[in-house]
Amino acid sequence: MINDIRVGALIAYCSVKRGNKKTLIFIVFVLSLIFLNLVFLPSMIGGLSGLFTGFMRDYPYGDIVIEPTGDNTYINNADLVLKKVRAVEGVRAATKRLDAGASINHKQKVVGATITGLLPTEEYDISRYPYIINEGDFLGELSRDEIIIGAMIAGTGFGAEIYDNLGEVRPGALVDVTYSNGVKRTYKVKGIMTGSIEVVDLNALVNYKEIEDVYGLEGKEATSIVVRVNKEGTEAQIQDKIREAGVNEEIFTWADKSEALIKQAMQSMGAIDIMSKIVSLIVGAALVLIIIYINVLNRKKEIGILKAVGITPRSIVLSYAFLSTFYVCLGISAGLILYLSLMLYFQMNPVTFYETMEISPTIDPMLLIQSIATMLTLSVIAGILPAWSVSKESILKAIWGR
Amino acid sequence: MIIVKDLKRYYGTGDMTVKALKGVSFEINKGEFVAIMGASGSGKTTLLRILALLDDATDGEYTIRGLEVSSLPEAERSYYRLTQVGYVFQDYALINEMSAAENVYILSMMEGKSKKESYTTALEALAKVGLEGKHDRIPDELSGGEKQRVAIARAIAKKPDILFADEPCANLDTVNSKQVLDVFKELNEKYGQTIVMVTHELWHTDYVHRVITFQDGSILSDEKKTKGQ
Ligand SMILES: Nc1ncnc2c1ncn2[C@@H]1O[C@H](COP(=O)(O)OP(=O)(O)O)[C@@H](O)[C@H]1O
Ligand SMILES: [Mg+2]
Repeated sequence: MINDIRVGALIAYCSVKRGNKKTLIFIVFVLSLIFLNLVFLPSMIGGLSGLFTGFMRDYPYGDIVIEPTGDNTYINNADLVLKKVRAVEGVRAATKRLDAGASINHKQKVVGATITGLLPTEEYDISRYPYIINEGDFLGELSRDEIIIGAMIAGTGFGAEIYDNLGEVRPGALVDVTYSNGVKRTYKVKGIMTGSIEVVDLNALVNYKEIEDVYGLEGKEATSIVVRVNKEGTEAQIQDKIREAGVNEEIFTWADKSEALIKQAMQSMGAIDIMSKIVSLIVGAALVLIIIYINVLNRKKEIGILKAVGITPRSIVLSYAFLSTFYVCLGISAGLILYLSLMLYFQMNPVTFYETMEISPTIDPMLLIQSIATMLTLSVIAGILPAWSVSKESILKAIWGR
Repeated sequence: MIIVKDLKRYYGTGDMTVKALKGVSFEINKGEFVAIMGASGSGKTTLLRILALLDDATDGEYTIRGLEVSSLPEAERSYYRLTQVGYVFQDYALINEMSAAENVYILSMMEGKSKKESYTTALEALAKVGLEGKHDRIPDELSGGEKQRVAIARAIAKKPDILFADEPCANLDTVNSKQVLDVFKELNEKYGQTIVMVTHELWHTDYVHRVITFQDGSILSDEKKTKGQ
């Protein structure tokens, strides 16, 4: 066996050293494209889901979100929970929110929306809501008869063609809101927010006190408590610490949430991703196989000669395994260079999606390792199979064709 | 040394059967230099391939030094080809991506010799065929005669029991042919190498001890030549 390996290595070495360089370059080029095909789309989709989780953190969930347990509508004693949470080391800020369902009405037009009641001054440290008011102003601490409306409901932003909207509502306009419990209020539009994503732009914001008032709450309830941490990556630890501090509600990190969300909202994306991976793999496998098979067929006579002079078929098969591994290693390296340059390009020039969403791809090391392992496995199989089948042929047939 | 008894080789089946060898018998002794002659299609190549274990006989017996080689399993035949039999092809059959030395020493490596030992053996064999200093050239950088001599070096480096050569000079001009035949003659005279060579040039028989002539798959004549002729 050791002789087989030595001889196989010698054959492979010679054929790389003195073989046709143009063929080598071509093979490596095609292999690099196969690799790129394997990793590029998933990276773009990764970027998309990264963007998505970014939105989730910037708006509804923060770094950590505390929600009521079980069937409860509210976190009871929200202020006590907030106090405990704020005392936890590593927590930068926390605030409570009250979500309510409502319909908003303006000049005969009605749309349904979630209205979030929040404490305007606290939100500056928690979310990006205060920073995305592109017409008018954000709520003030004392705002009571004022509302912030998402651009998609207002009908001023992107998506106006897709979703029901109020028909170009501007700051200063009056809207009537009917809450899920039937209570009606009239608000003056204070600002329009544009977050470039439905969870924000199909939403509306009012003062926390408003929702309390409407639902007759007593200053202790919240539908969620949103927490921001000091240091990225400490979410899970802080989640534990909050639990230890005696908070018995449901506590989620943004990662927990986005996992669930991506499972839901991006299920079709995920399916596309998996399908594209499978297709790339099949196409890649076929191409690697074809390239190496052609290569082997071109050397059929050589294989016959080697056998005729007493080289074992095993050495010959091994030499092709070495060769194709070598090709694929070069192909992967070239593919990685291509991939990283593309990543760099797209990170500097993100793809625009939904007119305003900018997607820059993410590099997932796991995905890269997976793809490299797959390509290497494929290459060994693709190298061995054709060489093995040719080396089984009779010497006469291999050398003289009959 | 070699005993061939009633060797037959048929190609194809039914009406299409070609009887390339119709049952030939002969013996070759150690140290002999034998030429096999005969018209094209008379079965010379077929015979040589069977003797060199590149092909199977349809029927008959074939022993080398008392060993019935015709019935060996493929792995042993492969080892036999590697260690006991040298074969020189008409069209050299060198590996184009290997240098002269590599073409030769790959076989020693296959036998399990160290790289250094293999290399020395290869250089020795190349020297025997008059190719000192050309061991680094690849086939494309060698003349036809030189290529054929590399092929001979490859075949004799293992010091085989028998060296077979199938029209080794068919692609060579007279000057190159003479060089190759001189190499054979020297190998035979100096090292006692047994050689069986197929040829159709009459003047080649000046180099050999014995001429077996084939016709239509059978032996037409088998003549000893007096030495020094
Ligand atoms: N692989 C083969 N299949 C069918 N017929 C063959 C094959 N090889 C040789 N023959 C036939 O066998 C006969 C002998 O061929 P060969 O041994 O090559 O003759 P020579 O070498 O004396 O010219 C020829 O008629 C040839 O056509
Ligand atoms: Mg012939």
